[in-house]
Amino acid sequence: MDADKDNANPTIINPSDLPSRRRSAPTTKRKGIFDELAPAYPSLADPFSSAEASSASSEFDGEERREEIDEQEVYDLISTISDPEHPLSLGSLGVAKLDDISVQRPTSPRSRISTVTVLLTPTTSACSLTTVIGLGVKVRLLQALPPRFRVDVRIKEGTSQTADEVNKQLGDKERVAAAMENRNLINVVNTMLATCE
Amino acid sequence: MSDIQIYLLEVDKDKAEARKIAAQSASKLENKELKLIDLITSLEQYINNKDDAGLRAKSIAYVADVLESVPPKVLSGQERRLLCDFVLGRIEGDVEGIGASARALLALEERGKWDPETAQKVARTFLDHANPWKDFKLQTDRFAVIQLFDRLLAKYRAPLQQLHDGDPEFISKFIAFFDGEKDPRNLMIVFSILRVPMTEWNVRASAQDLFEAVFNYFPITFKPPPDDPYGITAQDLKDRLRTCIAANSDFAPYSFPALLDKLDSSSINTKRDVLHAIQACIINYDPTIVNLYSVTLWDALKFEILNVQEEDLAEESLKALALIGAKFAQPHFDAYLSTYLRPIIKECSEHLEDAPTKQSQAAGRILHAVASASANVADKIVKGICPTLFTLYKASESFTKRRGLLEIFNQIIRAYVDLTRSQINVDVEALKASSSDALGVMLRVLTHAPKAEVSFRLSALAGITQLLAISGLLSNDEADQAVDTVTDIILHEDVHGHGSIRTEAMKSLTEMAHSAPDAMRNRAIPAFMVDLPDRPAEDSSVGPVLEAFAQLSGEQQVFDTVLLRLKNKLNAARAQGASGTYLQALLLAILYAFTHGSPKPDEEGVPRSTYFTEYAEPLMSMVRDVSGMQDPRTLEIIGRICNTILRPQSLHFQSTVYSKNLEYLSLAENSANKSSDRILQLAPFSLYYYAALRPEVVDAQDVITLLQAQSNVALNASHDEAGLSTIVQHICLLINKFINPKAMQATLDSANIEVESLLSVNAEPTSQATSVIFSVVKALLIQGKCPALTSKYLQLLLKLLSTSDKSVARRFAKLLAPDDILTKENHCLVSGLYKQKTFNQLVPSITEAVRTSADATTKPNHLIALSGILRWLPYSMLESTLPSLIAPLLQTLDLSDTADQDPKASTLIIFESVLMHNPDIVSEHVASLITRLMNCTTGPTNIAKVRAKALQCLTLAPRQLKREVLVPYRRQVVKKLMACLDDPKRDVRAEAVRCRTAWLALDEGEEEEE
Repeated sequence: MDADKDNANPTIINPSDLPSRRRSAPTTKRKGIFDELAPAYPSLADPFSSAEASSASSEFDGEERREEIDEQEVYDLISTISDPEHPLSLGSLGVAKLDDISVQRPTSPRSRISTVTVLLTPTTSACSLTTVIGLGVKVRLLQALPPRFRVDVRIKEGTSQTADEVNKQLGDKERVAAAMENRNLINVVNTMLATCE
Repeated sequence: MSDIQIYLLEVDKDKAEARKIAAQSASKLENKELKLIDLITSLEQYINNKDDAGLRAKSIAYVADVLESVPPKVLSGQERRLLCDFVLGRIEGDVEGIGASARALLALEERGKWDPETAQKVARTFLDHANPWKDFKLQTDRFAVIQLFDRLLAKYRAPLQQLHDGDPEFISKFIAFFDGEKDPRNLMIVFSILRVPMTEWNVRASAQDLFEAVFNYFPITFKPPPDDPYGITAQDLKDRLRTCIAANSDFAPYSFPALLDKLDSSSINTKRDVLHAIQACIINYDPTIVNLYSVTLWDALKFEILNVQEEDLAEESLKALALIGAKFAQPHFDAYLSTYLRPIIKECSEHLEDAPTKQSQAAGRILHAVASASANVADKIVKGICPTLFTLYKASESFTKRRGLLEIFNQIIRAYVDLTRSQINVDVEALKASSSDALGVMLRVLTHAPKAEVSFRLSALAGITQLLAISGLLSNDEADQAVDTVTDIILHEDVHGHGSIRTEAMKSLTEMAHSAPDAMRNRAIPAFMVDLPDRPAEDSSVGPVLEAFAQLSGEQQVFDTVLLRLKNKLNAARAQGASGTYLQALLLAILYAFTHGSPKPDEEGVPRSTYFTEYAEPLMSMVRDVSGMQDPRTLEIIGRICNTILRPQSLHFQSTVYSKNLEYLSLAENSANKSSDRILQLAPFSLYYYAALRPEVVDAQDVITLLQAQSNVALNASHDEAGLSTIVQHICLLINKFINPKAMQATLDSANIEVESLLSVNAEPTSQATSVIFSVVKALLIQGKCPALTSKYLQLLLKLLSTSDKSVARRFAKLLAPDDILTKENHCLVSGLYKQKTFNQLVPSITEAVRTSADATTKPNHLIALSGILRWLPYSMLESTLPSLIAPLLQTLDLSDTADQDPKASTLIIFESVLMHNPDIVSEHVASLITRLMNCTTGPTNIAKVRAKALQCLTLAPRQLKREVLVPYRRQVVKKLMACLDDPKRDVRAEAVRCRTAWLALDEGEEEEE
């Protein structure tokens, strides 16, 4: 059956227990059901009097308000990556956890560099594909985050027998680059990333 | 030359000609020009030719062709008997031309029914002398013989069965006879022939042979040839074969082992066929027989569910398991049922122990499927599983495990819910033993479990809702408790963000309103009322409560109660001097109930007219009261409430309402209403009120007076934009619905809103005048009854584009925009073709103007107007004109004014559809498209909506356009998108990630090709 016999049946987190931005947004801000009762089609009177146009202009006002890249956003980027050996996402297997992601803003006003740190928890301490999972997460973040972010993917302390070795590999730019020259690895990583939205 | 000689000459060259000759012989027989005996003797030298088998076959074919052409009643009974004997006698000595012999016999049978002996003789002759007839190479020969047997079994079943009863060897000859047939058309008939002995004869002794005769064909892997004239599909064969396999309980010792063996096949299709066959066997075999295999079947089928290979295989297996349960549903098969369920309960109980796992989830599915079979199966499962389940539940501290167990329990009771819905009396005694336990457990989860355990609490919520849905299960007290707990979550649980299950609780409460309307009326509704003050201190806190309360109106049984409480609350709030916002919220709740809830209908299926009397009329009297609520928003909501209730009512009812209210709404009599202030003030209500009325109801003069007064207000009085907006909508409605199209221009003139004269007064019309002009044109084009006038006006509007500023161009988007007033529900005149007509009249001229115009100011005007029109058209309408539209659409993306976001956004939506459905059309514009899309992806000249849409279009390109066209842009796009990854808006960033992934993937394609 599964290649990894130690972990044929990992605990699967129910989708409704996974952290998401929609559910963590304050409920007061959402649209009430009564708001739909008066539809906001453009009015005939004036091109700018319609609700739509006014919402557009409020969009302009809000344009300045920046939504910073935060932990949840990083989580959303990587939690949908699928595990190479289970047909499940890293989020639902608990490999990627919101609490284990941190974003450090630039330390000095002159620097623009932010750092994203992701700690991964392999499904078992003997999981043989830990490196591949780490590589997949790293590749995904390098592709999806702006260049001003430094990406640090590591295995959470005490969760894997091979943590040190894997961390060394993931931390080494050259080795990551070299790994991504390997056709087999590219294929595995691409399959993992194929489930990302 | 005799006919036979000519026939023999022609038969190889031209079949049709040969048949014609046979037909001539037939008519000679009919006209007595030829005696039957002479015809037969003329055959002699050919039919008995020892050296040429082909000749013998052709001669008998001649006989068959002649017989098929002979009209009925030409041949006497004796002649037919003689011919029959002649043909059969030939077969005994010579089987050449066997197909033709069969045809000849069929033709004879058609001209006169056989006696039982003849039928038996025919069957015997073929079985004895033409056996095995698979030696006959020609499919057509075999087809004729199969047809003959089909006829025998259709009409002479009893004589053939006598043959079987009298001769133990007969059946094996019969089976062997069809052995080895491969042609699909023949097989279709063979299967149905074999089904007769299978189902009707006593074939216990030869059950195995008979079974194998058909099972040899399993699984069917036939693929019909592309030009198959008979249209037989693999499915047809599968269906017939399956009915054969399931035809006789005596097959069980062979069929079940053979099928289960094939279930191990690696082919999904084979497994699918096996499962269907097993289902058919369970349905058709005797319960005593199914009993012998029930446990074996369970042991095999469970793997398909525990380790799902393909979802549909799991579902078919579940269905099979349920069918076995249903087979033993009768009380006298109780012992069988227990035997069958024992291992299932045992295995599922084992999986409970380490819930939640994939296996425990599968166990839940199994228990649900089997329990759904019938009430007594469900009964046994509940008795077998629930005690264990709740013992495990109590022994465990883990939320996850408890959640897993509850999920399984929910699956079992879901079976009860389904059963109680389809059957009237379902015995729930066994479930009662566990239901109080279960309810207690689940209520505790809802009240005490940590709020962050969302899925755990949701399972409990779902379980409680289901328990309540099983009629006769919970006591009234228990139902009250359940409703109280859920109501409490909705009203008092103050959790924001992750952990809030309010939405789900609301959904449950609405379902509970259906199962337990009394508990809802006695417990939930009063509780809601406590939380809805007459005069709230802070409005925002009651909003969610009111919303939730209004949603209860979705259940018809409590609709009236909810509405009555809302009305009383509204009156109390008014008396207490509550704020206008609160009153509006209450009115919105009433509106919600009427639009989204389930008001009780009258005999015609329309909401009862008493609702109007009880709810709308008191509100209307508030409107009438000059000192009452006069806030435009409030009046609009009241208008909408009246509109919703009034518009479906009968002509008669509406007439009564209209005449009752004519006096205070009309302008003719009452001078107080004539003031422009009062007209403006009433407009929000009056708009919706008139929108509800059927055109026949109103008084024509009243409408014209109203139109004139409103036009006067629109053009001359001072008002804010919202006020003007309502007035022009009102004008639009009156013109569309009530004004006689024949007198349209005169009426418009009399109201001073004739478009041409409005435009001629001023080269540059005022903003008010433009509003009125557009509303008139909109009313006319949707109506479609004044085509000449409409196109004249549209041309005037086009002319205006070259002379005015952008504000006129922007208004074009309003012409076709959806409108909630001008609808068929509001009895307006809505032409089916108005979009198409407007498109045809405006778009070609505008694109032409864009093409020829060099003027930097009028060109943007035309582009904006164009996108305003295209925006609301279905894509299919644009498709045919796309080639001429692409160029102006690309130019629209160049609009640089920050105010021009709407045209850009709608143009991008069109490009999205083009890329999706007709990528070929843009393939020659790739360079300009990609560059423009990239320009739209960055601020600050583009708002977030435009940036995101541009990225979506750009994402489609690699998927929809040819790779080699895009590769040159790859580096540039990927680089540009780097900046978009840092867009200030999250949604835009997400699109950028998707887009960049798509473009990065272009590279990989290249490497794979190498």
